[in-house]
Amino acid sequence: MLALAWANLTHHPLRTALSVLAVGLGIALLLVSKGLANGSIAEVNQRIQSVDAEIVVLPAQENVIFTNGAPFPQSFANLITRQADDQGAMAAAVIPVFFAQVNMGGQQQRLFGIDPAQMGLFLGSRRVLAGRPFDRAYEFAHAVTERRRTGGAQASSDQELADGLELVIDDRLRRAGYVDTQTGQHRPYQIGDEVRVMGRAFRIVGVVEAGVAGRVFAPIQTLREMLNGGEPWSSMFFVKLRPGVDVSQALDRFQSVLGSQARVELKSEYGRLLHESFAQLNLYMTATSSLALVVCFLFILLTMYTMVVERTREIGVLKALGMLRRDLVLLSVIEASLVCATGVAIGIGFSWAAKGVLAMVRPLLTVELAGGLVPMAVGVGLVGGLVSALYPGYRAARLNPAIALSNE
Amino acid sequence: MSEQLVVEARGIYHEYRHGSVVEPVLRDLDLTVRRGEFVVIMGPSGCGKTTLLNILGLMMPPTRATSLRLLGADSLTLPDDERARLRRHALGFVFQRFNLLPTISARRNVELPLRIAGQPIDGSVDRLIERVGLLGFAHKKPGQLSMGQQQRFALARALVTRPALLLADEPTGNLDSANAQAVLELLSDVHREWGQTIILITHNERLTVRADRVLHMSDGRFVD
Repeated sequence: MLALAWANLTHHPLRTALSVLAVGLGIALLLVSKGLANGSIAEVNQRIQSVDAEIVVLPAQENVIFTNGAPFPQSFANLITRQADDQGAMAAAVIPVFFAQVNMGGQQQRLFGIDPAQMGLFLGSRRVLAGRPFDRAYEFAHAVTERRRTGGAQASSDQELADGLELVIDDRLRRAGYVDTQTGQHRPYQIGDEVRVMGRAFRIVGVVEAGVAGRVFAPIQTLREMLNGGEPWSSMFFVKLRPGVDVSQALDRFQSVLGSQARVELKSEYGRLLHESFAQLNLYMTATSSLALVVCFLFILLTMYTMVVERTREIGVLKALGMLRRDLVLLSVIEASLVCATGVAIGIGFSWAAKGVLAMVRPLLTVELAGGLVPMAVGVGLVGGLVSALYPGYRAARLNPAIALSNE
Repeated sequence: MSEQLVVEARGIYHEYRHGSVVEPVLRDLDLTVRRGEFVVIMGPSGCGKTTLLNILGLMMPPTRATSLRLLGADSLTLPDDERARLRRHALGFVFQRFNLLPTISARRNVELPLRIAGQPIDGSVDRLIERVGLLGFAHKKPGQLSMGQQQRFALARALVTRPALLLADEPTGNLDSANAQAVLELLSDVHREWGQTIILITHNERLTVRADRVLHMSDGRFVD
């Protein structure tokens, strides 16, 4: 049966190749879109997990992927700081982050505004590969704080901000680089390069190992001055607990004092929050690629049906020789399964190739093909092939052999 | 039913319908064929020969019949799969247009009935191909063979399961006289040597010379 199915397929090599290609492209589309979604979520989560903290405080109603602006006043940080158990303060450090957007590396990046003094909590064991983290920003922040303490105005002029206009980027973003508008050539970022952020020229002062929470950092005070009139509001907080503090107790305590405006979660739950936030988009992407795959399977169905019509006489011969109806359906299923299995294999190959190409042309995108994706592709491909083959197989099985043999 | 009867058909009636037009092609035919008989059915085009062969070969049911027994089995009451099983084990077909599968080699075509029947592929395939004189051509696909060669392979395919009944529908209709003679010789040989039961329909008077019995059909009936 297998040999007969194989012979039927190889008898029409172009049509078979096109069918295989159709399935391969559909599978690749499904795999790459799912892999891109999974990879992006995993990569963001991995970076967030690198922060030396146990708890995250997020805006209650916002989608964690699109969190921007600064909904939390300083009083939230103070409330967290003041919470204590029998042993004293629960939090060893409250780490405010102020998010902004910047276009770097060919795409929008989330700019992490952080307190330069807390850079170590973000770096962990990761090294500074080039330059230095925010030296002059210390002076800037100090000057602004001092001015405000003495009743002066906020820093707002370019000259006053200049000392704070510093960026630290990670090595992956450095390698992603930019296209030089004068030469048209791609260049990696270097220490000293200027980057426009919200109309102001920031200077890259440091490059750190990839894997830190943000791909690009700026001093939080600088972003507050530029975007929030210098007010010390924050987009979110990380909370590093004092050693020995009961995490779930701290979680409950923080949630109760911060109320309904904030969502207090374990940092380890951030991945789940990302998946929840991404659910709608993921659903859309899955639906789109599944639709493409359905079109591919319709192509297979049409091909198989055409083959049945073309081979009416041959089917008549097989029936005359005593082939049972179920064997004719099986023959159709085997042919479609061979096409789909080859298509799935090619689709997986295409996906890995696409991953490689994306890594070269869009190095900031992460495509994750591991886990259950490949078995899913195999399952979808084979089930699709089976379903596509059933109707043509049924038609073949129902043919009257005498009429089939008289077919011209 | 006698053990010697391969075919026992009574009151076979068949009609084709084209919309409201009813065209009777077989009118209450009776036919019995004994084991080892070589029966030739002759008649003009459209007299119902091929329809009769299709009904005897269980490839289509008659519109009505009093009885139709093949090797003692009442084929009128058999479900589709049982008719298919009876075809694969008891019947061999040779068609005017050969009907070899174009996607596989001639040898594979000859092996096909054995594979469908789940029987082992043994030396009988080579012996049959040798018998039809085409051992050197067995690796070729049907499209690479002459019409005479295709029909000889088709004959080998029909005989490979050693069927109780061989049904041949104008087997020489597309062949030149030399090839037609070769096919006739082969049919005659297997009839004589194996005692093969054969029902052959043809226009060709020359094919009747080896027959045990010649029946003439006209307007859906046997005449004479």
